[in-house]
Amino acid sequence: MNDSLFDTGVPESPAERAGSLAADASPGHYDELRGAVRPLLRHAEHPATAPSPALLRDAAIPAEALATPVGAPPHPPDLPTAPDTLPLAPPWQHFFDELGTDDLADLPRRADLLERQVRDNGVTYNVYSDSGGPPRPWSLDLFPLIVSPDNWSRIEAGVLQRVRVLDRVMADVYGPQQLLQQGLLPPALVQGHPGYLRSMHGVRPPGDTWLHIAAFDLARGPDGEWWVVSQRTQAPSGLGYLLENRLAVSRQFPQAFESMNVQRLAATYTALVDNLKARCAYGNPPHIVLLTPGRYSETYFEHAYLARYLGLTLVEGSDLTVRDQHLYLKTLNGLRPVHGIVKRLDDEFLDPLELRPDSTLGVPGLLQAVRCGHVLVANMPGSAFLESPALLGFLPALAQHLIGETLQLPALPTWWCGERAAMENALPMLADCVIKPTYSGSGQRNFEAVLGSQLSRRELDEWAGRMARQGDLHTVQRYMPLSQMPTWQGNTAGGRIMPRAVLLRVFAVSDGPASWRVLPGGLARLAGSNAQIASMQRGGGSADVWVQTRGEVDRSSRLQPLASRASIERYRAPVTSRAAENMFWLGRYTERADNSVRLARLTLNQLAGDDANSPPLLTWLHRLALRNALVSDEVPTAPQSRRVFERALIASMGDVKDQASVGSNLQSIRHAATSVRERMSPDHWNEIEHAEIDFLRSSAAMAEENGEARYSTVAAQRMLERAASALAAMTGAQTDHMTRDDAWQLLSIGRHIERLSFLSHALASGFESGSVHSIAGFESMLALFDSTITFHARYQQRRDAAAMVDLLVLDHDNPRSLAWVTHSLTKRLRRLASTSPGSQGDLSQPLPDTSLWELESLCEPDSELHYPALARLLEDCEAAAYEVASSISAQYFTHTFESRQSVGA
Amino acid sequence: MLLHVTHETHYDYSPAVETAQHMVHLKPRNTDSQRLQSHHLSVEPAPANQTESVDLQGNTRSFFELGARHESLVVCARSLVQTHVPQPPTPATRQVGWEPVRERFRYRAGALYDSASAFRFSSPYVPQDDTIDAYARASFSAGRSAFDAVSELNLRIYNEFKYDAESTEVNTPAVLALAQRRGVCQDFAHIMIACLRGMGLPARYVSGYLLTHPPAGQPRMVGADASHAWISAWFPEPNAADAPDASCGGQWIDFDPTNGRCAGEDYVTLAIGRDFSDVSPMRGVLHGGASHTLEVRVTVEPLPPGVTAPQLVHESVAVRAAAAKAKAAQVKPTSG
Repeated sequence: MNDSLFDTGVPESPAERAGSLAADASPGHYDELRGAVRPLLRHAEHPATAPSPALLRDAAIPAEALATPVGAPPHPPDLPTAPDTLPLAPPWQHFFDELGTDDLADLPRRADLLERQVRDNGVTYNVYSDSGGPPRPWSLDLFPLIVSPDNWSRIEAGVLQRVRVLDRVMADVYGPQQLLQQGLLPPALVQGHPGYLRSMHGVRPPGDTWLHIAAFDLARGPDGEWWVVSQRTQAPSGLGYLLENRLAVSRQFPQAFESMNVQRLAATYTALVDNLKARCAYGNPPHIVLLTPGRYSETYFEHAYLARYLGLTLVEGSDLTVRDQHLYLKTLNGLRPVHGIVKRLDDEFLDPLELRPDSTLGVPGLLQAVRCGHVLVANMPGSAFLESPALLGFLPALAQHLIGETLQLPALPTWWCGERAAMENALPMLADCVIKPTYSGSGQRNFEAVLGSQLSRRELDEWAGRMARQGDLHTVQRYMPLSQMPTWQGNTAGGRIMPRAVLLRVFAVSDGPASWRVLPGGLARLAGSNAQIASMQRGGGSADVWVQTRGEVDRSSRLQPLASRASIERYRAPVTSRAAENMFWLGRYTERADNSVRLARLTLNQLAGDDANSPPLLTWLHRLALRNALVSDEVPTAPQSRRVFERALIASMGDVKDQASVGSNLQSIRHAATSVRERMSPDHWNEIEHAEIDFLRSSAAMAEENGEARYSTVAAQRMLERAASALAAMTGAQTDHMTRDDAWQLLSIGRHIERLSFLSHALASGFESGSVHSIAGFESMLALFDSTITFHARYQQRRDAAAMVDLLVLDHDNPRSLAWVTHSLTKRLRRLASTSPGSQGDLSQPLPDTSLWELESLCEPDSELHYPALARLLEDCEAAAYEVASSISAQYFTHTFESRQSVGA
Repeated sequence: MLLHVTHETHYDYSPAVETAQHMVHLKPRNTDSQRLQSHHLSVEPAPANQTESVDLQGNTRSFFELGARHESLVVCARSLVQTHVPQPPTPATRQVGWEPVRERFRYRAGALYDSASAFRFSSPYVPQDDTIDAYARASFSAGRSAFDAVSELNLRIYNEFKYDAESTEVNTPAVLALAQRRGVCQDFAHIMIACLRGMGLPARYVSGYLLTHPPAGQPRMVGADASHAWISAWFPEPNAADAPDASCGGQWIDFDPTNGRCAGEDYVTLAIGRDFSDVSPMRGVLHGGASHTLEVRVTVEPLPPGVTAPQLVHESVAVRAAAAKAKAAQVKPTSG
């Protein structure tokens, strides 16, 4: 095999060259690229290429393990098998021949572009365990998985049947329970399943539809057919990621994408949203929200993305409240009715009043509202029992019974060991199977799925013993070698085309009462290159899925970023109290970061300068550093030891445990921004994320240095300079790129409050310490107010108190003068009050009246050369800033964050 | 017996609670051995709204919301219940072996459904546990009748466990209470249920009251009683247990491991569930109110009075909850 893509002078077609360059799939695995399977070879014949089987596991449920087969499903005898390299399958020939300019040689560039796009769009997948760290970028392969029209129509028909059956099973279980009575469904899989919610019994869902979104994980066997491995109904993930995958990958292959008749996705999403709206019993139009567990959820990116794409309000449980069995959203403007929920929260967390009392993610009283028919929930709570792998074995009979049809898309052979006959069938085959937990995801009875092939004889016996004692808990599923698709493995020489095992997740969504359609695409999940078990959580990758159609390509779109219905609806979307609070804090932290960066730069400059010998200046700088938490109060004052002070300042810049260091302010900006991410442009978000990462990384690197380099002023200044320009860019984005609704007013109010309190304190302490009476101190004050240039343009080399007070306190054109800040803050508070009905009076009331400020009286010194009127004014300003901040919180946010607790008696 | 039950729950909050939602199981249900004659539930302050519904097991739940700021909450349920001596097991029922009952609830294709299977599986307070299974097994020897085995288990728990209100909390798992050999009625009920389910038999949790008697010569003290809990075990009719195609008749018999006896006409059933979590008398979610104190007063009076019986040990889940300092379950500020 030729490893390089670039040294072929032979005039072959791109597809032929791709074929000769791409590695074959492992023997026994269906090779997507060549549409064939190579027979299993004995190790003696081919010792060098006996790869360990690539395994995949489900991201939602640990260990969806599949491995090399020793049995069913059998290889059909008439399938092409290849002793040597085969030509590419027709779709892949087509794909490579349509690469366009520079074809294969252009792939490394496109892979780079793709990676950059994923990064720039901020697509992430969080891992629960490192919720403190920055989110991990989404892993997306350059190549799509291509599904032919024939294969797709079989998948589509089979999935449609299955979702119909599952929906009817759920309707029966929460209704007449005939399936239990007739013995078609074991009680252990319903009444014994923790996901069976007694409190949903007797509920009639809107449109008599229980399932609106169902995901099916499919695997392609060596026979070239697709098999069902598992199903997800509680809160399946992928509908957002797969859209992002489509956008990113189709852009890299515009020619192939066009000419291969790849079916588009938008119409299916539109059908889903339209149907949900039509099914809501109340609201004209109905208000539907997307309920997320919050920003620590591993798939939070997709919640925000989907909400924006579908035109739904993104909410957390604490944003919602139930009053008199109706559901409401808490907004800045009061309670607003909610009629439908697309939930991304597992059932047990939905309602602390009836389900888990320790859930902080749900809405107390929600189940009551659902039972009354006031709220549509997609999917209806209580579907978790449908996710059990044990159900797979019962579905063929259930399908016959419920819809009178034979299932067209088979599931991998699966045995539930609670049925003795099934267990006895499964036991002899254990080594060729996966042992899965029947009640996966349900706490104490859970165990990790295991591969029989990886167990020793003794371990297999132990498992068999446990299965005999507690059959209910164990479900056995046959292995199947997964098909392998071509993927792009970038490396320094350019890259290679390598096979990776793939699992395909497809989605059925409701488009009418008891009617569904299958999204013509999906999420392909790839095993890691050498991992024995791979998952999204363990760094597995994903790929776009191209479903080819023989018919018309549906070009309807929701994706015109400037004029789509979704974006228009979002524009009008209500401002949740939580979003408002996070915007407020985003404003405050941005201003704090800005202030602390400017102060740190100024301080380092002064400490390094020749004219910094004035003790009042050092005292002033030290007080400001203390007040703004740039150094801890154990550090000796600057006049005592300039060097110690400087070192402490440099060392603590990146200390995120310290509440207000530059680094922790940048981190707090990201935390607040994450919660309102749907309001940010990608550029704005990137700026926020990169500012934090860059600053913390640089300061960590500095802390690793030895000797003087550890406290290098030059390096510290360089970091601060970069942070300053990042903050300037954020300020620009806040000013120019965000909708100026009430939430934005709060952001701006947050900034003004911080500015007022920071500057008034700085000025007061400058006068108090006497620092302003030296040239260096005077100039430092101007610099801190960002007013040096204006000042000297206006007053040249005058340096007296009157000139300073005039520009920094009274000037109405200087955005950092206290009068300007106060005035502008007053204006914003009044505007907010005018748009929020029921607000309690004028929150600007504590702010001083700037029209009463007079230069003469403010600059009237007393006998000790202090300015008592000015000092009082500054003190008033600082106190007013605090007062406004707390009354804002009390008025607008208490409903969101007030503590909640469960009680019992 | 005509029994009058007063069950008063009193919360004091500090600071005041802004809004609250509660779900209560305080209305006695009708059973084969009791009729509810009258019932009144009062809530102070008056709730913004209040609804009543019947759950899957036939228990009545009340929901109410408090929309205004309040510093205390008083919920008082008054019920008049006519009780009878429960029907004793028939001689045939006493004979049924425990293994056939177990087999009856083991799934096989086309197996007959018995609705008692709703109570055969693990539940939040009653997980499967090997040590509990081992404890149970001593009573379940091969070929023994189910009734004998369950009766013996009931007495073993009564004799081998010490009643100790300080030893456990409202959410103590059964496994821990077993290890300590101490607990209160809720723990004993959970342990016994776990034992029976571990042996493959259905068992349910019964929440209710027990009539107690003041020491001779002293008046009945108002509020000195408490709510109680015991268990109910399922005994299918003999032919039903042996032959899966027979009709599914059978009998639930109530055992009280706290007192080592079966339930009599001095018992009042409130609600039936898989365990405490299904039927807790009062459950709520509060907004605000960082800490609270709780007092529960229960009075069970015979009408007309005059029945005598030895003082029985029983207990209150709720009173112990009062001792437990409330823990704020949630603090969610993400910034500040």
